[in-house]
Amino acid sequence: MSQRGSLRGLFPLLVIAAVAGAGFTLAKYREDTRTSEPPVASSEDATRSPMRKIWDWLWRDPEDKQAQNHLAEVPKTTEASESTNEIVVDFVDGTTKEEFDELEKQWGVDLELADQAEGRDSAITVGKYDGNPSAEDALFQKIQENPKVEVAERLVNYQASFVPNDPSYKLQWNLKLIGMEKAWDISRGKGVTVAILDTGISRVPDLGGTKFAKGHNFVDEDSDTEDDNGHGTHVAGTVAQTTDNAIGVAGVAFEATLMPVKVLDHFGTGTSARIADAIRWSADHGAKVLNLSLGGGLRSKVLANAIAYARGKGAVVVCAAGNTGRGAIQYPAAYPGTIAVGAVGPSGLRAPYSSYGKSLTLVAPGGDKRNGDEGGILQDGIVGPEFKNDAYLSMQGTSMATPHVSGVAALLFSEGAKSPSQVEAALIAGAEPLNGSWSEEYGYGLLNAPRSLAALKGVKALASMETVDESALAASLNPRGAAQLHVAEGASETSAQRSPLPGWKPFAIATGLLAFVLLSLRRQERPGLFNVLFHPAFLPAMVLSGTGLFFLAQFVPEGAHAAFVSPLPDWLANIFFGRGKLANPLVYSAAPALAVALLARFWKPVAPLAGGVAIGFAGILAYSAWAKAPALAWLPFTALAVPWLVVNSVLCLLLARALIRKEAR
Amino acid sequence: MKKVSGTVRFRDLETGVWVLETDDGRTFQLGGGDRKLMRDGARVKVEGDVDETGMTSAMVGPRITVHRYSFAD
Repeated sequence: MSQRGSLRGLFPLLVIAAVAGAGFTLAKYREDTRTSEPPVASSEDATRSPMRKIWDWLWRDPEDKQAQNHLAEVPKTTEASESTNEIVVDFVDGTTKEEFDELEKQWGVDLELADQAEGRDSAITVGKYDGNPSAEDALFQKIQENPKVEVAERLVNYQASFVPNDPSYKLQWNLKLIGMEKAWDISRGKGVTVAILDTGISRVPDLGGTKFAKGHNFVDEDSDTEDDNGHGTHVAGTVAQTTDNAIGVAGVAFEATLMPVKVLDHFGTGTSARIADAIRWSADHGAKVLNLSLGGGLRSKVLANAIAYARGKGAVVVCAAGNTGRGAIQYPAAYPGTIAVGAVGPSGLRAPYSSYGKSLTLVAPGGDKRNGDEGGILQDGIVGPEFKNDAYLSMQGTSMATPHVSGVAALLFSEGAKSPSQVEAALIAGAEPLNGSWSEEYGYGLLNAPRSLAALKGVKALASMETVDESALAASLNPRGAAQLHVAEGASETSAQRSPLPGWKPFAIATGLLAFVLLSLRRQERPGLFNVLFHPAFLPAMVLSGTGLFFLAQFVPEGAHAAFVSPLPDWLANIFFGRGKLANPLVYSAAPALAVALLARFWKPVAPLAGGVAIGFAGILAYSAWAKAPALAWLPFTALAVPWLVVNSVLCLLLARALIRKEAR
Repeated sequence: MKKVSGTVRFRDLETGVWVLETDDGRTFQLGGGDRKLMRDGARVKVEGDVDETGMTSAMVGPRITVHRYSFAD
């Protein structure tokens, strides 16, 4: 059989397999985390294919029904909805009243100028028409075709998101920067306790409607948690300032419960032993989020253990990166298991004081007052010699950035996040990348509340399949990325924050597979191993797709993003689906290799390159399956991801075999 | 007890913090002393206890509790 013939024999099979796989994955991908629909929407069952129903049934999540329904209902209010029987017609500028009237009669639509103040010049009109659905399209077409009409379309009503009535809310650029109005339509943090480990909290007027849990004073060892410094009250305000009460300002998670835990004295200082005690106490007393707007320069094993304990209790620990403005994150933010928060100003650029470095998770608004107090974070605080007088204070610092993240963490728990890993994954997945996928200055990017709430859905879907496998969740942001999040116990501050590279192993596996493929060919059809391997097109293709130029990674400067050091499927995933998304199975399949092979079928010189890609893919897919590393969107590796990778690896081998085969003489 | 010399600065961070920027590039959060010490830009020599292990809300550097100081110029 000729090479062409053998390919022809193989292709139908491969095409069917790949198309089925693509159909599956694309169908799921459409329900990307940003869409507002729940993964399983039963109302559409009637129109679904049997295959799709089975799929939906397999991945249904009975426990989450309520949360899903809630999510399905709420975002609709923020989306645009088409109103019935109303049309907006934008006429060519200068159209006269007489012309309007003439056309109105002709169309049978009563048009009014949309904005009288704009006058006739705007020529945008809105009107009602008779609601006859069958004639609707014809009517629209008729209107649109008129030369006097620029645009004719159904009137779309935009419903406003929740805007609190607090008079100084308009000054809170920080809340707009992280998209709070959209987020408040979904969650306000109800039922979640946020512990503020700080200088205490004074019950200022604008905390009057906020719920409080019983706290503790670890400085004086009593239950008086009044603030004698001013710091804690301000920080607490960012988390849960009483909102929509017509006074002062708003807070991020204003229906959450604050737990005042005083660990810092009048001077704003405290010992690591005391803070460690307070962390354990807070976790034991029901706090799900621990806000630590504090830090120091030395590591402490006691504090690290306390953080691990709180995390084990299901609490997420959010810490300030520090205000040194230098390239070292302070402790406890630098410990594994915490969320380290840096600060940006109103422009979204890193504030000059914000510490940066390898352990930084993300950034949030912390204020930048170089151009005046309006660049700071405004909350109800306390002043005066006795710290008894309340005042709205503009402050800047990573302490101010941290409670933004704590607040959003509370929203995530309130929306059904079940573990600190889920909260962390959703925060990172929702963050707006500011300088590549991750950088020392911005971490994974800028906190974004609505995007994180949307991402939570995907994170929870993964968790329900995995029966809460924390490491898989951590890995969910990158196929080999468990170490990428600094959640792994024992990971040190200096451990690599970049996605770990698979290194030479996929290459070794690919070479072995190549030898196997060659041996499977009859002698007349078999080229020599080295003739294939060292072909100028084959080897680079194999290396780039199978391992990437991992050996160059050490030359890539910190913080820079160089795609070529990772395997081809990783870049494809990043390019098409974006970082922080679950890896789409489509790029971890035989499909990309198949695409190149198809090219080779019509343009023969590409064949060695296609062979290299096919072998490289076979190698990386086999490696991923072997390393039990894959966290593919919608494919739990215990059930489907590993078989998916194995089957696709075999498909790649079949492709490679067809491409490498010499024509028998 | 540690002796350091440097410049007193006020930084508008958090609730506001007085720091000592030493000549060798370190930053201490100033504690102790008295009101006269808190003068932005003053060159000083201070003697005090440095708490390297403590945690602070200002997060600018370790706190130095000043016992004795003198203005350098």
